[in-house]
Amino acid sequence: MTFHPEILCPFCGLGCGDIGIDRDDSGIAPRPSGCPQADRLFRRPMAVATDARMAGTPVAMDRAIAEAARLLGAARAPLIAGLATDVEGVLAALTLAARIGATVDHERSDALFRNLAVLRRFGWSVTTLAELRNRCDLVLVVGPDPAAAFPRLWERWVAPAPAFVPGGGRSVVFLGGKPLPETVQCLAGQIETQGMETDPQPDLATLVTRLRTALAGRTASSDARMAELAARLRAARYAVVVWAAGLFNGPQPDLIVEALARLVRTVDGTTRCAGLPLSGADNLIGANQACTWRTGFPLRTGFDAGAPLHDPDRFDWRARLRDADVTLWISAFRPEVPEFGTSGSVIMLAPPETAIAPEPALFIPVGTPGIDHAGDVFRADSVVALHAGALIDRGLPSVADVIGRMLAALEQSADTREKAGC
Amino acid sequence: MLTKLAGGRLFDPANGRHGEVADLWLRDDRIAADPGPGAAPDATYDLTGKVVMAGAIDIHSHIAGGKVNLARLLMGEEHEHHRFAGSACGCGGGSGLATPSTHTTGARYIEMGFTAAFEPAMLGSNARHAHMEMGDIPYIDTGGYLVLGSDDFLLDLIATNAGQAAINDYVAWMLTATQSLAVKVVNPGGINAFKFNARSLDLDEPGPYYGVTPRSVLTVLARAVYELGLPHPLHVHGCNLGVPGNVATTLDTIQAASGLPMHMTHIQFHSYDTEGDRKFSSGAAALAEAVNRTPTLSVDIGQVMFGQTVTASADTMAQRRTAPLAHPRKWLAMDIECDAGCGVVPFRYRDNSYVNALQWAIGLELFLLLDDPWRVFLTTDHPNGAPFTFYPELIRLLMDRDYRLAKLAEIHPDAPAHTTLGSITREYTLAEIAVMTRAAPSRILGLADRGHLAPGASADVTVYTDRPDRRAMFERPDLVFKSGRLVVRDGTLVAMAQGCTHVVRPGFDDLIERRIARHFDERLGLSLKHFRIRDEEIRHGAGPLLHPCRRREVP
Repeated sequence: MTFHPEILCPFCGLGCGDIGIDRDDSGIAPRPSGCPQADRLFRRPMAVATDARMAGTPVAMDRAIAEAARLLGAARAPLIAGLATDVEGVLAALTLAARIGATVDHERSDALFRNLAVLRRFGWSVTTLAELRNRCDLVLVVGPDPAAAFPRLWERWVAPAPAFVPGGGRSVVFLGGKPLPETVQCLAGQIETQGMETDPQPDLATLVTRLRTALAGRTASSDARMAELAARLRAARYAVVVWAAGLFNGPQPDLIVEALARLVRTVDGTTRCAGLPLSGADNLIGANQACTWRTGFPLRTGFDAGAPLHDPDRFDWRARLRDADVTLWISAFRPEVPEFGTSGSVIMLAPPETAIAPEPALFIPVGTPGIDHAGDVFRADSVVALHAGALIDRGLPSVADVIGRMLAALEQSADTREKAGC
Repeated sequence: MLTKLAGGRLFDPANGRHGEVADLWLRDDRIAADPGPGAAPDATYDLTGKVVMAGAIDIHSHIAGGKVNLARLLMGEEHEHHRFAGSACGCGGGSGLATPSTHTTGARYIEMGFTAAFEPAMLGSNARHAHMEMGDIPYIDTGGYLVLGSDDFLLDLIATNAGQAAINDYVAWMLTATQSLAVKVVNPGGINAFKFNARSLDLDEPGPYYGVTPRSVLTVLARAVYELGLPHPLHVHGCNLGVPGNVATTLDTIQAASGLPMHMTHIQFHSYDTEGDRKFSSGAAALAEAVNRTPTLSVDIGQVMFGQTVTASADTMAQRRTAPLAHPRKWLAMDIECDAGCGVVPFRYRDNSYVNALQWAIGLELFLLLDDPWRVFLTTDHPNGAPFTFYPELIRLLMDRDYRLAKLAEIHPDAPAHTTLGSITREYTLAEIAVMTRAAPSRILGLADRGHLAPGASADVTVYTDRPDRRAMFERPDLVFKSGRLVVRDGTLVAMAQGCTHVVRPGFDDLIERRIARHFDERLGLSLKHFRIRDEEIRHGAGPLLHPCRRREVP
């Protein structure tokens, strides 16, 4: 048995780099990290089936690649979705999408688009995790506890004493959401909650509006607690407003995000205040970054006669599935895929342990970035990219390898194309 | 593969050639000596009457990294309206003008005969992202300048009197870990001060928390860069960008260098005086005079051209100040990782705006009043002053006085009175353009085998038809070779090529690593192991191209 300390976790987007991994002939297992996701997803057996399957029947990889290229090359409305892979895999998927005119989207991009809608029409003022940890004296958490999606958020980025706050004190206020028991335990006495007095599931939009009204100095006298919170935001040296838009319930969640972006701007006019919009497990942020630098547009972009075309509603993968005749589903991080219905054929790139019913037209097993091969992933605050290394060799190719072979097969079959002197 | 470029007029100032007619030979990816009689080239191009130069090099262009990608997102409307299909050779697709996507960036540069462009504001915390983007830009060479000067670690070293040797080790360590080519300072200490709610910070004003002045940040960094022997001097984006009257600060900044080499960037934005009714006038003459008599100084301009663009900068303090002028009215700002920040503010420069018209004139004044083309670089601070695709128009303005005067007559009527532009008769020559865009950039970045046409140099060659309309000439070269490969013919992409990433790696004393490691563990929640960028991460495993440093002592 060998022990590997300081392993980087690529899963939720917090980028924890302190995971301890034990490896022996049977596979790898993590030392308990306090994170249910890392503790589960780093556990992988050495012996896995590395065969591809066509309609459930094992086939050689070459045959599977050829079949995938045939299906994708003939598709009229192809979709490349899931897109849960490292940056290299995403770039390969984008090259393939441009080649066959497919649209691309990430399985978890809903949360991202709630934030992007605001960024694209209004802009925002935001910060990153290390700034939260070192500068912030008042954390305002809006909505449900983000720790549901980012388990070690508080432990790693808020529990340590801030370096640049005189006296080191910091308050954490939950507005319209309840801290999870682990959060209460982690942050001990620092937590206060607001807005839950009368309703266990308060209307977030209304709460945020009340706070903005209070900040504008137009509060009804009955809303004294909101006026007090507004005063604390104004008095804080560096307040950070944290939200996980993916956890917002109710209609038009992007309007809550916009209200928060405006709220941050108001406070930041006189003292410092910044937002921290969190979204993105399974390298969602990396997929969006790569799509943006390669095409100029975020995810939910397709290729119209070779030129990129973006439509956040029409190219949402759930909507696009309805008319996609071939779907390439990419899910390299975890052995689960969401339920989805399509009348078209499905080519799936996923870890070999993935259980799926009904069996797709083609299943091609791939490795997990940070376990089977090295790969780059982005942190949830969108700034820091991390290179996750390889831990074991189970003979599983990366998504980029597999798509590269599909592209080569497509080129071979298209040898009638004019090469234009290239 | 042996290629003969026959009978062109060679403008190769690094080797003293100013238009002489000669053959040029390319063997594989390098310029080769004339193989003598009997040589049988695989390809021959008759370049009789054509102008032949090395590939052009842009030393300051925001082409990659987080702020660029955020700017792309913010400029969604622009991207909707400018979408490009890929070319037959499998590249060049994408979208955008002011914030082109990666393939579009490479395509537009190579189509203009540029074979290298350097990202001048790479944050350490965002370096891996910047490298991934640079690796996805085809055709051109790239490299990043590491932003230091508002990072808490450096300010702490200065505040605790850690000494110049420790600072040098830190700078060298960071350059190595982030695979950078040079050091840039942006609003020294100012981005950090903004995080403590300071909204301005002058050259000799102690910043909050550390009590360190911008002047001391500048001097320790300039000295570190000099002593480590980096080819490129400290790349300085000074204090008070865009503030009327800031020419005084800029002149003080020149003094602050106290004889050490320094490169002052986008000086157009730092050349404003406060004369006239509007308290806004050109300070170009005074600045040009100071630069002319300081041989250790080099500058680039950051020319403003009229139209829609977007400003993207690590200088959150300045961006925050100009945000109310955003057009369209949206902007974003970020504080980043105890390191620096970024601000993205869209701008539309209008020729009928007094301020914008004067900015345009000030940039041109500087170009024309600075007498040594080896120390002046052609930039628009892409996309801050204008997209880089405006370079051919800018070259025409520099080379053609009649054209310049015609344009001057079109701008806001009060602006010409506040600049000397109308009275300047100078016209840049082809040889001077070749210096400013080829020979000088390669020299100031220490890229020994780029920017010239001597045997052994990288076979990056651009061939133009000599047209009286210099814009038309520089917009559409006849031929562009990247590393010996013909990639553009008559303005059209004909083949794909990949550039490389240039880096320096000065040595350092390992002792500094302990202090850095503690900072990373305690403050950044990220171990050095995960921060450091490995060679195999650069350009999909190809690795970087290393340039030597030569340690020096301050006299």
